[in-house]
Amino acid sequence: MLSKPTMSGLGPNPIPARAGVGLRSGHYREMLETLPPVGWLEAHPENFFAVGGKHLHYLEQLRAHYPLSLHGVGLSIGSTDPLNTRHLDKLKRLIERFEPALVSEHVSWGSVNGRYFNDLLPLPYTEEALAHMVTRVSQIQDYLGRAILVENVSSYLQYESSTIPEWEFVAALAERAGCGLLLDVNNIYVNACNHDFDASTYVRAIPAGLVQEIHLAGFTVNTVADRSILIDTHSRPVCDDVWSLYRQTVQHLGAAVPTLIEWDSDLPPLDVLVGEARHADALLDECHGLPA
Amino acid sequence: MASLRELQQSFAAAIFANDHQFAAHIRSAGGLRGEQRLSIYRNNTQANFTDALRITYPVVDRLVGDGFFRYAAVQYLAQHPSASGDLQEFGGSFPEFLETFEAAAQLPYLADVARLELAQEQVFYAAEGDFLDTVALSRVPQERYGELRFILNPASRLLSSTFPILRIWQVNQEGYHGDQSVDLNAGGVELLVIRQRNMDVEIQNLSAGDCALLRALRDGQDFATACEQAMTAQPDFDIPAGFRRHVAQGALVGFSL
Repeated sequence: MLSKPTMSGLGPNPIPARAGVGLRSGHYREMLETLPPVGWLEAHPENFFAVGGKHLHYLEQLRAHYPLSLHGVGLSIGSTDPLNTRHLDKLKRLIERFEPALVSEHVSWGSVNGRYFNDLLPLPYTEEALAHMVTRVSQIQDYLGRAILVENVSSYLQYESSTIPEWEFVAALAERAGCGLLLDVNNIYVNACNHDFDASTYVRAIPAGLVQEIHLAGFTVNTVADRSILIDTHSRPVCDDVWSLYRQTVQHLGAAVPTLIEWDSDLPPLDVLVGEARHADALLDECHGLPA
Repeated sequence: MASLRELQQSFAAAIFANDHQFAAHIRSAGGLRGEQRLSIYRNNTQANFTDALRITYPVVDRLVGDGFFRYAAVQYLAQHPSASGDLQEFGGSFPEFLETFEAAAQLPYLADVARLELAQEQVFYAAEGDFLDTVALSRVPQERYGELRFILNPASRLLSSTFPILRIWQVNQEGYHGDQSVDLNAGGVELLVIRQRNMDVEIQNLSAGDCALLRALRDGQDFATACEQAMTAQPDFDIPAGFRRHVAQGALVGFSL
């Protein structure tokens, strides 16, 4: 059970339990002109940290038509540096302005001694790192005055010092910090391939009540020393194996959950992205029936 | 066992300073050694930063070519670490870096082209300016015009170069199919980069008079001094026409007396 109640996007204009798409600048205009039938939009707050300009202009207009989720990539929650309050202030201003139903970040770190990697680096899965993450997520939620979701990340290495399976680590973090989970099914698949574990084990270990959002995306396969490594590039359609794992996840959760199609590089035409969202909707419908 | 902080510091040293000690903290698994797994992060990180520079400086990228641009990005990152979780803030010193970048010494105009690209990005993301209150301005008695001070649009930048950087920029735009030649001795340019009301960013060639007028006003000089400087820079400059043009296009957004 949760130590604190979590907010599940039930504020004004909540995120419906159906598929949404990531908002990328290459689609702004067409999206505003055609208002495609997707349930909601998710944006990276960092793309809107500027004080003015076209991005804010479009977000403002699109916000009037869609429920919104803000999904941060730069907060570096797991860093042992002090929390970056400048970054948090910008995030907070954006939250006040756009009133997103969900706000999320990652179970990762990306800076040390003030130097940023601008990447989502994995943490060692240790009691020390878990305690650190719980403290930091709590600080962030206090600062923002609301609950957030945290997302499991892709990784290409494991630490010698890790003692806790990743799925136990993320579940324990959510339970202890009183935040929600954003379960990235593609990241689970990528890690299962990269680190030789069974993706189903991961999914089954996640308490259903913690998951408030799901991410789906495509990866690329790199070859390192004759070994295939899956890289989480968000540059391709969702693959069949990940769709299967998604179906399994939705069944395990016992209810439809807001699901996002992420696509960041090699951005496809908008209708391809919307097609992916339709596919997710069809699977949600098949498992649980879409809400009216 | 290394603390979380020590581990993070060691990770940074491995990525940014090619330190090899961190590899010992990585599990060798799936046929890959720690160092090989680490190299995936090293490559991803460098590629992310290089791409971020490419987005801001596409013409510089075109001018120097992919290999050179990547090399420059590696050197730049080593000297100018990212200090923000917002990647948008990375790369603001790239023009100054190129100015003294030995390998680019053969391209003396490169830093100014980068300045033009940076100015466009800054203008793209700048705050909204107000509309100049022309009614209030019209109430100012004529004898006090000389004391007026104006505020330039925050979404505008003035830029000068001894090289024809606007021409260089134009012939290197995607979709440009005209004459590619650039005469590097064609002389310098004075430019105004300004965001239009429809949010598009425009680059304008300024006459010597326009440039002197806007520069003086930007620097907080009163209108009389700005006009004097404009006439010195260009004796036939038509001040009323120039002033009206800049008000009309929103280059001036406020005034004080």
